[in-house]
Amino acid sequence: MPSIDLGGWAESSVGWLQTHLAWLFDAVNTVLTGLYEGVDAVIGAPDALIVAGILAVLAWWLRGLAAGVLAFAGLALIDSFGLWDEATATLSLVLVASLITLLVAVPLGIWAARSRRVSGVLRPVLDVMQTMPAFVYLIPGVMFFSIGPIPGLIATIVFSMPPGVRMTELGIRQVDGELVEAARAFGTTPRDTLVRVQLPLALPTIMAGVNQVIMLALSMVVIAGMAGAGGLGEAVYSAVTKVDIGGGVESGLAVVVLAMYLDRITGALGRRVSPLGRRASAKAAASARRATPAFLRYRPGTAVATVGIVVLALIGGGLRLVGGDDGRQSMAAGQNVGQGKSIKLGYFPWDEAVASTYLWQNVLEDRGYKPTVQQLDPGPLYTALAQGQMDLQFDAWLPTTHKQYMDRYGDKLADLGSWYGPTSLELSVPSYVKGVDSLADLKGKGALFGGKITGIEASAGMMARLNDTVLKEYGLDGEYKVVSSSTSAMLADLDRAIKKKEPIVTTLWSPHWAYGTHDLKKLKDPKGAWGKGEEIHAVGKKDFAQDFPRVAEWMKSFRMTEKDLSSLEAEIQSGGKGKEKESARRWLDAHPGYADRMAPAGN
Amino acid sequence: MSRLKAEHLYKVFGRRPEAAVRRLEDGASRDELRADGTTAAVIDASFEVEAGQIFVVMGLSGSGKSTLLRMLNGLLEPTSGSVLYDGRDLTALSPRELREVRSSNISMVFQHFALFPHRSVLENAAYGLEVRGVPRREREERAAEALELAGLAGWETSWPDELSGGMQQRVGLARALATDADLLLMDESFSALDPLIRRDMQDQLLDLQKRLKKTIVFITHDLNEAMRLGDRIAVMRDGRIVQNGTAEDILVRPADDYVASFIQDVDRSRVLTAGSIMDESSAAVPATATSVDADTPVAELFAPLSRSGSPVAVTGEDGEPAGVVTREGLLAALGEQPRTTTEEVTARA
Repeated sequence: MPSIDLGGWAESSVGWLQTHLAWLFDAVNTVLTGLYEGVDAVIGAPDALIVAGILAVLAWWLRGLAAGVLAFAGLALIDSFGLWDEATATLSLVLVASLITLLVAVPLGIWAARSRRVSGVLRPVLDVMQTMPAFVYLIPGVMFFSIGPIPGLIATIVFSMPPGVRMTELGIRQVDGELVEAARAFGTTPRDTLVRVQLPLALPTIMAGVNQVIMLALSMVVIAGMAGAGGLGEAVYSAVTKVDIGGGVESGLAVVVLAMYLDRITGALGRRVSPLGRRASAKAAASARRATPAFLRYRPGTAVATVGIVVLALIGGGLRLVGGDDGRQSMAAGQNVGQGKSIKLGYFPWDEAVASTYLWQNVLEDRGYKPTVQQLDPGPLYTALAQGQMDLQFDAWLPTTHKQYMDRYGDKLADLGSWYGPTSLELSVPSYVKGVDSLADLKGKGALFGGKITGIEASAGMMARLNDTVLKEYGLDGEYKVVSSSTSAMLADLDRAIKKKEPIVTTLWSPHWAYGTHDLKKLKDPKGAWGKGEEIHAVGKKDFAQDFPRVAEWMKSFRMTEKDLSSLEAEIQSGGKGKEKESARRWLDAHPGYADRMAPAGN
Repeated sequence: MSRLKAEHLYKVFGRRPEAAVRRLEDGASRDELRADGTTAAVIDASFEVEAGQIFVVMGLSGSGKSTLLRMLNGLLEPTSGSVLYDGRDLTALSPRELREVRSSNISMVFQHFALFPHRSVLENAAYGLEVRGVPRREREERAAEALELAGLAGWETSWPDELSGGMQQRVGLARALATDADLLLMDESFSALDPLIRRDMQDQLLDLQKRLKKTIVFITHDLNEAMRLGDRIAVMRDGRIVQNGTAEDILVRPADDYVASFIQDVDRSRVLTAGSIMDESSAAVPATATSVDADTPVAELFAPLSRSGSPVAVTGEDGEPAGVVTREGLLAALGEQPRTTTEEVTARA
C-alpha cells in the first residue's frame, strides 16, 4: 500500500493559501470582526441587568410571564457569578455565527431541495463539516485569521451549518407534492411557489433547524474559547485546567443558562413566525385557559413588548452616558515609556505562565503600555507568535519541552532570554508518607501505592522519560504502572489522596503551585535519571525587539527566584479565578521596588 | 369548433422517450417498452370536448388517466402530440404563457383537495386570483361568491383542517370556480369522499353545471360516477383510450371484452333511457297510456308499467309520439347481456 501524503498536501496548501490569499482572509477577518464587535458593543455595553431585562421582556413576549421571570433570574445569576462580560461575548459570537450560518444554510437548503444533484454533492460535504474534529480547522483558522474570536467564529459556522442546510432541504421536500402541483396548476411561478407555499409550510422544520444551528453554535463557541475565542468557553477552560471546581461549575452553569434561554426563545420564535405554529399555539392556549390564572397567561403584545425593550435600551444608553467614566490614570511623565502602545501577551494555563504574564501586565501598564492578555493552548499560541499576531509569551520551556515548536517556528520567533531556571521534573509524595525520600526508596513499596504512579497527559515529554528511563534506572518497571490522565486529573487525584491521607506518587515538576498548597516531598534522584533541568524563556514574535525595544531590554535582565515565583503563584492561587491581575498587583505592592528592578523607567 | 381537442397525445417516462413513441407508432406494445425500462403512460390519445360538456375519462389505476389530465394544462409536457384549447396549441406555449392560461382559463380540482393548510378558506378560494394579481378586495369578493356557489357561505374565516372532507372539496371546487376559468380539470375529485357525500357532490356538480355551463374533464375510476356525470365517457386501459362515447354507447355497445366486463355491475335501469329501448314500429297506444320523454331513465318506467298492462308512450323531442315501451320490451332490455361491437360485427357477417 503506497502511502498517500494527504497531510503533506494539506499542509502545503495551507501554506500556499497563507501567502497568496492573505488579502481575502484579511477582508473576511475585517468583516467578521466588525460584525462581532458591533454586536458585542450593543449587548455588552449597557448595564448587565438592563440587558437581562431586555432579554427577559423578549422571553415574556414569546413565552409568557414565567419564562420572562426565569430568564431574568438566570441572566442575573450569570452576572452574580461575575461572568457577564464572558457571557455577552459568547452570546455575541453565537448570534453572529448563527446569523451568518443561516444566511448561507437556508439558501443552500432551498437549492438542494430543488436539485437532486446539488443535494448529492452537498451531502458528503456536510458530513465532513459536521464530523471533522473542530481542532483540525481551528488551528489553520488561527493561521489565516489570527488569534481571537474569528477562527472560533469560522469553526462555529462550519460546525453549525449542516443542520441548517439539512432541515431546510427536508422541510421543503416534505411539503405535500399535491400542494406544489396545485400551486403550479393555478399558474404560480416557481419563485412564488417557493415563497407562498413551500417556505411557509416548511417553516416549522426550518425553525427546528434554526434552533439546532443556534444550539450547535453555542456548544462550538464554548470549544472555540480554548482557541482564543474568549467568552464563557475560556472561563470553563481555564477553570478546568486549574482544577477550579467552583469556577468550572459557575461558568458551566452560565453556559447552561444561555443554552436554555436560546433554545426556548428560538423554539417559541418558530411557533410565532410560522402560520401553522401560530394556529397550533392558539389552540393550545385556548385549551389551557382554564388551568392557569390570568396574570400568568398574560403576554404583552408585539407593540407593548417593543416599547418595553426600547425603554430599557434607552435607560441603558442613558446610564452609560451619565456613568461614562474618565478614570484614566495619570502617570508621571518619566514613567510613560509605552505611550499607550498596545502589546499582546499570550499564555497557556500553566501556573508560572499565568503568574509571570499578569505580573508583567501590571508592570507594563505602569509603564504606559496597553497590555492585553489572552489564554491559549501552546500550539495556537506559538502559531500566533510566529504569525506576529501575538507579541510575547513568558513560558517557553527550553531546550526540551517546547523543542517541537522551536523547531517548527524558531526562525519566526525571537528568544528574549531565560528568566527562571533550572526547572526540574520529579516524582512527589505527600510528606506524611514516611520512609520514602528518594526514587530508590520506592522499590519494594509498590503495594503501598497500589503499584500506581499518577501521571499526566500521555503525550507529555516527562511521561516518556519516566517510562523509558527513570523507572528502568531504579528498577521500578514491573512494580509500578504509570497511569496517564491529564494534569488537572492528576492534581485532583493528589488532592483527593491528601484529604484521605492515602499514600500516592505523582509526577510533578518545579516550579508548581502544588508545592505551595500541599506539603509534598520531591523524591531525590541521585542517579540523575530525570536529566538536567530546563530554563523558562520569554519568547516574542520575530521583530519584537524592533517593535518594543525597551521591553526587550527589560526581558533580558528579568529573572525570578523560586521563592519569588512560588509566593507570586500562591498569591494568585489564593486570589481566585478572574482576579489574577489584582492578585499580581497585591504581590507587587508587597514587594516595593520589584517593578522598578523589572522595568527600570529611566534611560 | 370544440373547446378542447387532444391529438395523438403520448407520454413516455424513462430514457429516450421520443424513440419509444416511434416504436409505439410502429406497433410496439407497452410491455415491450417496459422491458427496456421505459413506461408508456399515455399512448395515442385523441378526443374532443365540446364547450359546456362534461367529459369523463374512466379507467383503473395505472391506466394513464391522471397523466392524460396533467397534459391538458401542461403540468406534464406531452412526449408527442398536441393539446388545442380554443384552437390554441398549449404544447407550443412558453412557460409564462402557459402559466397565464392556467391562472385564467384552466383550473383544477384535486383528489386529496390540495388545500393550503396555512391559508383560511377564503384565502384558499382566492388563491388563483391572487396569483393573477387581482387586488385584495376584488379577489376576496369573487372568492366569497365562489364559496357561496359551492355551498360554503359563512365558512370564509375557517381553516381547511376544521372542515369535513366534503366541505374541503367544496373549497377546492370554489378555488377552481373563482378564477372564472372555462375549463375545469377534475382529478378523481370525489374519490376520497365517502359514498353519501360523493353522491351529494355529484348532484351539486350537475346542478352547478346547469347554471355555469363549464367545460369539464372529469377523471374517475368509478363507472357509476362516470355514467352519472358524463356527457361523453372515454374508457382508458393500459394508456390507451379503448372506447369513447356516451354512457349508452358504452353500455349497449361496449368496444371490447374489457369494457364489457367493466360495465357488468352498472345499474342499467338508471343509464338506459326510454328512447333507447322503445319499440318504434308500433306507435299504436291507448289514449289512456302514460306518456314519457325519450330521455327518461328506464328506472322510472317500472311504476307505470306495473300499474297497468298497457305500454307506455314515448314522445320525441318534438313532442310527437315516437314509440312505445311494453313490459316485455323492458324486461328484454334489462335482461340483455351487453354485446361487444365486435360480436355484433361477426354476427352480421
